[in-house]
Amino acid sequence: MNIKNIFSQFKEGLYKTREEFANNLGFLFSNSKDKIDFLEKLEELLILSDLGISATAEIMNEFQQINFREYKENNFIFFKEKLKVILIGILNSTATDIKINENRLNIIMLVGVNGSGKTSIAGKIAYRLININNDIIMVPADTFRAAAIQQLKILACKVGAEVINTKEGADPASVVYDGISAARARKKNIVIIDTAGRLHTKRNLMNELEKIKRVIQKEANDCSLEVLQTIDATMGQNAIAQAEFFNKSLGVTGIALTKMDGTAKGGIVIAIKKELSIPVKLISCGEKLNNLYDFKADKFVEALLD
Amino acid sequence: MFASLTDKFQTIFKKIKNKGKLNEYDIKNCLHEIRIALLEADVNYKVVKEFIDSLHDKIQQEKISESLSPTQQIIKIVNGEITLVLGCKQNDLSISPAPPTIIMLVGLQGTGKTTTAVKLANYFRKKGHLPLLIATDTYRPAAIEQLQVLGEKSNLPVFSMGKNESVVNIVKAAIKYSSKKNNDILIIDTAGRLHIDDKLMNELQEINENIPLQEKLLIVDAMAGQDAVNSAKVFCDKIKVSGIILTKLDGDTRGGVAFSLKKVLGIPIKFIGIGEKVDNFEPFYPERMASRILGMGDVLTLIEKVETAYSKDELEKLDKKMKGHNFDLNDFYLQLKKMKNIGSVDQIMDMVPGFNNLKNRIDVAKLGDREGELKKIEAIISSMTVEEKENPSIINGSRRKRISRGSGTQLSDINRLLKQFYQIKEMFKKGPKLKNFSFN
Repeated sequence: MNIKNIFSQFKEGLYKTREEFANNLGFLFSNSKDKIDFLEKLEELLILSDLGISATAEIMNEFQQINFREYKENNFIFFKEKLKVILIGILNSTATDIKINENRLNIIMLVGVNGSGKTSIAGKIAYRLININNDIIMVPADTFRAAAIQQLKILACKVGAEVINTKEGADPASVVYDGISAARARKKNIVIIDTAGRLHTKRNLMNELEKIKRVIQKEANDCSLEVLQTIDATMGQNAIAQAEFFNKSLGVTGIALTKMDGTAKGGIVIAIKKELSIPVKLISCGEKLNNLYDFKADKFVEALLD
Repeated sequence: MFASLTDKFQTIFKKIKNKGKLNEYDIKNCLHEIRIALLEADVNYKVVKEFIDSLHDKIQQEKISESLSPTQQIIKIVNGEITLVLGCKQNDLSISPAPPTIIMLVGLQGTGKTTTAVKLANYFRKKGHLPLLIATDTYRPAAIEQLQVLGEKSNLPVFSMGKNESVVNIVKAAIKYSSKKNNDILIIDTAGRLHIDDKLMNELQEINENIPLQEKLLIVDAMAGQDAVNSAKVFCDKIKVSGIILTKLDGDTRGGVAFSLKKVLGIPIKFIGIGEKVDNFEPFYPERMASRILGMGDVLTLIEKVETAYSKDELEKLDKKMKGHNFDLNDFYLQLKKMKNIGSVDQIMDMVPGFNNLKNRIDVAKLGDREGELKKIEAIISSMTVEEKENPSIINGSRRKRISRGSGTQLSDINRLLKQFYQIKEMFKKGPKLKNFSFN
């Protein structure tokens, strides 16, 4: 697929976000009476975008130093470039997308709080990987939520992936065990595990995830494991706690940011990257199976400000 | 719930507590901290701004009285203001005088509509109604099945017509069906949708125009960020939402969205979802939530829960035990068992004044919340002699060894249990006196 093409789609998805952000920037700049007024408006803009207090404070600090009058004369472009540099600096992500190791079994485990979009993104990831000739088996390890297994089955059927059979109430770790065995027996190169949504504060449910990871480590010690945490872009600062807890339990290797097609500004990405060093790898932006994009810090910020 | 905000306020007030009098600097400092706490809690920026402004005026106007400590005064003011924002009285759901009462649940994807629909139906059934759930999410794969399975588990009827019918037609058919089955409450579970998805928002409008809806409830994730106000606003504009249900409040989210929504939209928050079980659902009480935010606990909720778990006799006995300070290991075990019926220890501690301070000092996760831990405690306690149970202070090293062998547990388990027991006992001594609550 053409990279440029993907990006323009990505931008389209971000259209609302971008429009709002950029308009605010223009407005912010042209309507500020003085430095104090300007800084206050900048703070408002950043907080309303869910950047969080500490990322906002860092950005504010950078602008404390500038000579406001000079900036005003040098117009909006200057200011925007500076903001861009700061935001990319925080995101500072050496592009890390999902890598498929050709010589090993690849396991992608999706984790996250309830309703953050794990099952949907499992379908999208499978769709993308099948299109580049991978052999996939999907594992419905969400045996808790009613009809979650059925939902994954329908998605697997749509994208043409195999799916492990299980039933509600089954032990998720043993479903994963079956999934790994089946992948080996049927010579699949990718296993996608959809787990049940859980609040990060529920210790017993987090233990259950840790058990799943132990099973993977035991049964597929040589695999290339990706623990992807879904974070809903409409979430506020609690997303940081979510990432922190899941990471502590499982060692999250990447974040998939979901529901970027609304008006939430996605500032949480910046907050998460600043607070934790977990890279954001994927962005999901729409309900279609192909609405999945690699996360690129510079492109993301550009798309946000252009 | 709202834990961090509570902690923040308590830290602020502790700072003030040590001073006899508040000066302008103290007030500024205090307001600054409150502002940061609220912003970190995801309260909308604009709401925080207004809130802080009104607080500032209130605090300045208030003459520092001699009889109250500055802490007490600021708590009183902040509490009053938070309650004011959250709304002053509890708003029940309205029941149509001519049945059936039709309630529609709407919201963004993944906020918990389906789960809430079942909880709500269960709530009405408990009140003696005959609810019917209507599955209209024809978009998400297996969404209808999800509602069917949940309904079946809770023994609640679910009406569905598959994926190819329009929502209005499904609901109309359900109304007909309900009149035969005498269902007096109809709950429509709709598909999750983005507020900027015109096609799906029009679908909601169509339902609104063609079906006599008694209540239109917006389901909002308590972990939502700043944008929640914007999306909620669109739902309100399109279909005149009549109330809000806040979900997933059982996590550690500070839930600032409760604050923002009430303030910006003026729509009451009617219920909260606090867990995965069908019973984890309660009416929203603004006063209680305000006190909870301030670390004053939610005594009223606790009393209600305690009342359903204990009989009156049991309560009197417990009260006596605590008054007499002769709370022993037998009681300890009994209470842990009872507490399981009320909620997790964590939940309970959130509700009792002064206890959420203690929470950090006690390893709550290890405290009888889990089945296994409770069994272990049972094994340990039943390996004790009658004397040891009644007077744990005699349990020395060699007794501990014997108990450990007898119960098949580690010495550290026994030490931990005893430590927890003493902590709890201490808490009961220092904490609120149960006799002050009206248990009747």
